[in-house]
Amino acid sequence: MSRLLGLYAAAAFAFLHLPLLVLAVFSFNESRFTVWTGFSLKWFDAAFRDAQLAEATWNSLLIAFAATLASTIIGTLCAYGLWKRSSRAVSGTLYLSLVTPEIVMGVSLLAFFQWLFRYVGMHLGMHTVIAAHTMFCIAYVVIVVSARLRSMDASLEEAALDLGATEWTTFRRVTLPLIFPAVAAAGLLAFTISFDDYVITSMVAGVDSETLPMVVYALARRGANPVVNAISTLIVVGLGVLIAVSSKLQETR
Amino acid sequence: MDRLRRAFLAPGVVTLSLLFVAPLAIILLYSFQSRGVYGGVAPEFTGDNYSRIADGLYGAIFLRTFVLAGVATVGCLLLGFPLALFISRAGKRRNLYLQLVMLPFWSSFLVRTYAWMVLLRDTGLINTALTGLGLIREPLPLLYNDGAVFVGLVYGYLPFVVLPLYATLERLDKSLTEAAADLGASPWQTLIRVIVPLCAPGFRAAAVLVFIPCLGAYLTPDLLGGGKTVMAGNLIQNQFTTARDWPFGSAVALVLMLLSLVLLVVWMRTQSEDAL
Amino acid sequence: MTRRTWFLAGLSTAAASCSRDLRPRLNVWNWSSYVGPETIPNFEREFGVRVRYAVYESNEEMLARVMGGNSGWDVVFPTSYLIEPMREMGLLGQVDHSRLTNLGHLDVPFRRPAWDPELTWGVPYMWNATGICYAKSLGVTAWADLWRADLKGRMTMLDDPVDVFGACLRKLGKSLNTRDAADLRAAQGAAVAQKPLLRAYINAEVRDQLIAGDVVAAQLWSTTAQQALDESDKLAFCYPAEGFALYPDVAVILRESVRRDLAHEFLNYLLRPEVAAGVVKGARTATANGSARALLPEAIRNLPTLYPSAEVLARGEWAASSSPEIQRLRDRLWTEVKSA
Repeated sequence: MSRLLGLYAAAAFAFLHLPLLVLAVFSFNESRFTVWTGFSLKWFDAAFRDAQLAEATWNSLLIAFAATLASTIIGTLCAYGLWKRSSRAVSGTLYLSLVTPEIVMGVSLLAFFQWLFRYVGMHLGMHTVIAAHTMFCIAYVVIVVSARLRSMDASLEEAALDLGATEWTTFRRVTLPLIFPAVAAAGLLAFTISFDDYVITSMVAGVDSETLPMVVYALARRGANPVVNAISTLIVVGLGVLIAVSSKLQETR
Repeated sequence: MDRLRRAFLAPGVVTLSLLFVAPLAIILLYSFQSRGVYGGVAPEFTGDNYSRIADGLYGAIFLRTFVLAGVATVGCLLLGFPLALFISRAGKRRNLYLQLVMLPFWSSFLVRTYAWMVLLRDTGLINTALTGLGLIREPLPLLYNDGAVFVGLVYGYLPFVVLPLYATLERLDKSLTEAAADLGASPWQTLIRVIVPLCAPGFRAAAVLVFIPCLGAYLTPDLLGGGKTVMAGNLIQNQFTTARDWPFGSAVALVLMLLSLVLLVVWMRTQSEDAL
Repeated sequence: MTRRTWFLAGLSTAAASCSRDLRPRLNVWNWSSYVGPETIPNFEREFGVRVRYAVYESNEEMLARVMGGNSGWDVVFPTSYLIEPMREMGLLGQVDHSRLTNLGHLDVPFRRPAWDPELTWGVPYMWNATGICYAKSLGVTAWADLWRADLKGRMTMLDDPVDVFGACLRKLGKSLNTRDAADLRAAQGAAVAQKPLLRAYINAEVRDQLIAGDVVAAQLWSTTAQQALDESDKLAFCYPAEGFALYPDVAVILRESVRRDLAHEFLNYLLRPEVAAGVVKGARTATANGSARALLPEAIRNLPTLYPSAEVLARGEWAASSSPEIQRLRDRLWTEVKSA
């Protein structure tokens, strides 16, 4: 039976990885059709030359950086606060935000922003996207940082407090350095989630805030496009690196 | 002391209130209002939007959403359990295999869905391969139907199932399986009669973990279903964009959210049972 | 990491987000493939501005975004039957004729059109008809052909309630501008009957699939069809025998726009005969600009897809805007067709 299991596992792993591998392989295909005619970098070349893609990528990076910064800070503080004194309301709401379907979150944010802008006179743009991304990343940051806090030795904090440090100093000088790898890991996680988001972004984006997933989606809607294959490969590799680094950081030594 | 602790929570609370709770409150309000003539929200209050959901047509959409999510969940469990079993027996390589399972999950969801478009379309890899091998003459319509959505959902959430099942298998009391073997059970019998029943809580937890996101799926039915497979998520998006019926869209969104919430509570219950 | 490092990181992000381009900006949102390759760059060069140019695939997509009154767009191109609803919703800004010196170049039918006799709200740009683009071997001549069972799974209709119901209405022998609710419901019935035979409801994106042969018959606008015909000689276009819809797309300036002056310059620029002719040559559209048409090479000027003969044109019906009740009913019926 273990041989059967082994064979099955091989097939399952193939199922999990083959689609992306195929995509990657065909992004190097000379022809635009799914028949291999030769190795070529021309689709990558086309991707790099496209001005719309460049702008969208820049937007995605900017949004991801800003949202990561904001959500990591807010999330870490929140996780620490919850660790010190748990609050069912806050952790319940955080869990709820994880479980809420993205489309529901997207439309509710759209409705909120449109309502707000009747009184404030702004319109949808980079700021609304960044705000939305910050929102949905917080829960992930809290989870990662909380996991690390739970496995941390609380007596270290107590020792610092006994020695006369204030709570804030204790957090800043003792706890934060200890949990920093987890904070960094959470930040990387937030970055990948923000960079890849399509559903929520598409609802709250404005004229000047087209992101890379939005461009990829529009191209994908028109049917398979070899330039999309190339972009996809780049995205997968990029995100893969970030996640690898993130999980390395999360390993408790 | 307490004020400082509250200060830590403050930024999170403000963000959550402003960007999560307030938006939900707004669509709750909208769900009881009516659609403007050309779209948008008009101030008249009505319970119409909710009763429209119970209407045959939209009820069918929810039913279909449930069915697709359910079938995808079953598919994930069936495909995921043997994989989890394999990994739990893999000895030193366990972590490597777990990483391998999770790896595709962490790359772009959009890209992974697109990858299946490339594989399944009429001129895609599968059809080209089958035609090349002479097995078929006309391309099979693999894309833009419920089947494609099913495959996309299973592919998307399979890793979600493997981890909790693996965790359950890990915690199994090995002595029980040994006892079964000692009593003369074949590996198959041990599997079916001992291991699987013992894993029941794990199955329940994993099922809910996959069912919730499948219920709220939007991208998968949109790209792989060709806009013809309408799940609840697609209906909501459609109402907020092209149909411009925000009140009705809000009502559907809240109903979907309620369903997810109920399932979350169920899941949390299974977690606490499991821990005992 | 010290506080200083975080601060510097935040500062550099903020600095990076400041735009480096200080030229005046105009935001234009148009249908896809509706300008020539040089149209926008030439405007940018001549007026020393930067145009953010993006495209949409359907009126609904555009309207949904613009409806809030704060979308950020300056110029959009709704189809003529949307002018009245958009005006009612307070979305449109009036166009100042004193700044549109090239208005006289418009072709006769578009100078005092039914939807806006004084041309207060927009300037006609290009016009389209809805017909069927199909694989030559099939011999399609009428809307009824899109209900053929043997073509199941390889046909598409436009993702647009006005077009789909329009085709159904014509197939049933009714006017596509009907104000009769019963007619609309009958049309909906036809649409629902057709749905299982369709591959998808899709707009201009189907062009690639037609060229590739994935789709063999598609309800399509004449402009997009011509673009497909240019790339594949296996395709043909027909103006259905039962009648079809004709609509101009109109360039409008949104009321929310803070760049009205520049927007007027842009509209005036589009009205120039050379510019309009350039668009036609580059994108294969049918222009509302009479002087431009005279500038076109013989081959394009008489393309049957874009500029059909008088008898064919007589079968067509200019789409008019509907009453609010019909609009509402149509939107509701469309949701039900899409959700079925």
